[in-house]
Amino acid sequence: MKLTRRKTRAEVPSMAMGDIAFNLLIFFVILARATDDSHLQWTPAKVSNLANAGPSMVSVLVDKDNKLYLNGQQIGIAELAGRIETALGDAVHGERTVLVKIHNDTLAQRFEPVIEAISEAGGDLVHIVEEEKQ
Amino acid sequence: MRGRRTKVLVEPPAHATGDIAFNLIVFFLVCASIQPDSGRPQTLPSSETVEEGQQTENIEVAVSRAAVIINGDVTPMNRVFTRLKALLAGKQAPDDRVVVVKSESDTQYSRWLTITSMIEDAGGVVTLQLEEERIVEVP
Repeated sequence: MKLTRRKTRAEVPSMAMGDIAFNLLIFFVILARATDDSHLQWTPAKVSNLANAGPSMVSVLVDKDNKLYLNGQQIGIAELAGRIETALGDAVHGERTVLVKIHNDTLAQRFEPVIEAISEAGGDLVHIVEEEKQ
Repeated sequence: MRGRRTKVLVEPPAHATGDIAFNLIVFFLVCASIQPDSGRPQTLPSSETVEEGQQTENIEVAVSRAAVIINGDVTPMNRVFTRLKALLAGKQAPDDRVVVVKSESDTQYSRWLTITSMIEDAGGVVTLQLEEERIVEVP
């Protein structure tokens, strides 16, 4: 007697497509957070008369431990101006916004060279602060 | 003979729940990313534009942890704005409106920002005067 082999169909389960898309999304979100500075710890200073910061390609942050970050990556003060200049490229005035996020207790000996470096690189400074309630 | 009506069960398709969750996540991510940052723009002229000779004619503001000194006079915090406004009155040219800010090394950022904001609100153009020799901590 000759037995016939049963054919099994192999196909990607369409039921799992949603889960695959979900996992891909989580993956890219985590990847995006690597260049983001939202995980860094700092307390903004409080000032009145604020404006919308607008879109920006560059963000400079000094955290509560006095560490300096450019777009979420820790760097030294000596390379800050050059890196900002590279990041801004040939952007025209008005599109060279640099968001400055400095912890409110940071001392002048730390933040003044940062501000000077941004100014030297031709960036338009926008201090990210909180609205002071009067 | 009476025919029996077949009941049709209407329920959301179970296989679409993944897609619904996906779209919800995208929606909340977009909502989160468009939340704008609020800030205070500051225009600083580059250090080369202010010559040494001009600095003596400009208003000088020395900021320390305890005091604000405008052109050599200690000024209470609540009078800084009015004093600056009076000093800048009548000055139209941008070069005349330059206010040189010297900060002690132990001045806090929040204090410095409050004072430089007052200078800008009074119509001044903030220029930093940094010390030539300074110890910078490189992380």
